[in-house]
Amino acid sequence: MRRLLISMALLGISVAFTSRAQEANKAAVAPAAAEKPVSAVKAKQARTIRGETFTLAEGEKRFRQNCGRCHGAPDKFPPRMTATVLRHMRVRATITDEDARLVLWYMTQ
Amino acid sequence: MSRCTGAAASSRANCTQIRGAAKWGCRAAVALLLTLGIARASRAQSSDTALDTPKPVPVFSAGMGFITPFEGGQPHLDPLIAPVILVPLGDRWLVESRATFESDLSTPPGSSTFHGEVEKEVDYLQLDYIANPYLTVTVGRYLTPFGIYNERLYPIWVRDLQSDPLILPLGTGPSGAGTGAMARGGLSLSPSVNLNYAAYFSALSTVSRLDSNRFAGGRVGLFFPGPRLEIGTSFQHLLQDDRSNAFGFHFEWQPPAIPLDIRSEYARSSQGSGYWIEPAYRLSQITRGQNFFSRVQVVARMQQFFLGAGPVLSEDAPSVDTKEIELGLNYYFRSDLRAVSSYGRQFNSKGNESVWTVGLTYRFVLPIGHGEMN
Repeated sequence: MRRLLISMALLGISVAFTSRAQEANKAAVAPAAAEKPVSAVKAKQARTIRGETFTLAEGEKRFRQNCGRCHGAPDKFPPRMTATVLRHMRVRATITDEDARLVLWYMTQ
Repeated sequence: MSRCTGAAASSRANCTQIRGAAKWGCRAAVALLLTLGIARASRAQSSDTALDTPKPVPVFSAGMGFITPFEGGQPHLDPLIAPVILVPLGDRWLVESRATFESDLSTPPGSSTFHGEVEKEVDYLQLDYIANPYLTVTVGRYLTPFGIYNERLYPIWVRDLQSDPLILPLGTGPSGAGTGAMARGGLSLSPSVNLNYAAYFSALSTVSRLDSNRFAGGRVGLFFPGPRLEIGTSFQHLLQDDRSNAFGFHFEWQPPAIPLDIRSEYARSSQGSGYWIEPAYRLSQITRGQNFFSRVQVVARMQQFFLGAGPVLSEDAPSVDTKEIELGLNYYFRSDLRAVSSYGRQFNSKGNESVWTVGLTYRFVLPIGHGEMN
């Protein structure tokens, strides 16, 4: 029983501690959760990758197609953390270079 | 070579094995050098290879949970934490590692307190080199890319049902990992089809918590972004014991119109064969009480395992033909914190039993160190 209480207390403390730390990090980025679609104005922003032009709406589409294959839409992280997570996911989920760039662009807006 | 000359007959077999391992090691090294050479050439040709616009920072993340399964009426307490460390180096390198610390606490006969040991395992510890847009080279200890569950769906915060599929040990090795080198990547064949692949070689390792079998294999998948459908196949040749082959198929579909995930795998090896199919539905289409129902997910899994005639390659696979059906209900407090529950019934010749599960899962992501994060 003591181990049970200790385990549950540790889990509770971890959730509380990391939530505070994550909130502090999120304060640096736009709070838009990935569940929300990009605004109509933002969606028209364009970017060229290897000679092909894409809109931010395309980035959002790639995000839903690739990330949603395995897990729910995550919160947005600060850009430099997002860059690391995207590099990890690019390897882990074998997503294409173009998809990784567009998802990173979308998630850092 | 000279060390084998004149060796006793009993050690000749070992020498042959060493020579074989050395031969495979040489082949792997040559393949790696060729790969890196091609990568450098293609890098020089490409003027648009800066992979990350913001400079990445080291990240510490972890999935953790507290699961309480009731197996055959016996309560267990399973706390688990799986820390992940990601260290990007330059534009193209990444060191990544995940370890798992978990315990299965139960009450021994005659005792009213829970007892158990903490199990520790290094799931992966690998160095990735993004050679070009189509190829990443990985060395170290990596998750075996056989099917999709082991690599993509295994983390406690990702999986919709907390129990492992019965066929998970087939094709993934004794610890779900290989030790060696791997080439992998994804490319767009056309606007409507992406191809992803992985080819790997693993050496035998008997090091505690870093064990792996000696095998080689690969996985190929086709992803259709329009219908959000992926199909793929895996193959593996064991280079030890009975030197048998294993193969499998996987299927994943998220219809864009409805919040439904359907995932399935089939695997066959000398130890056995089987399949699982798992639909999961988020109730976000219910308009009344949207705030509540959009957080609720209903899951089901049907699976069967058929024992093969080959040797036991993994102790985690069932020892008899087994059939299992599970139903689950998950509630997402946030995207990273959820309550999970399930009820399952397992049928086999050793006796049928029910398995209840309730618990909490959580995941966090933090930067390592301070500094400007934008």
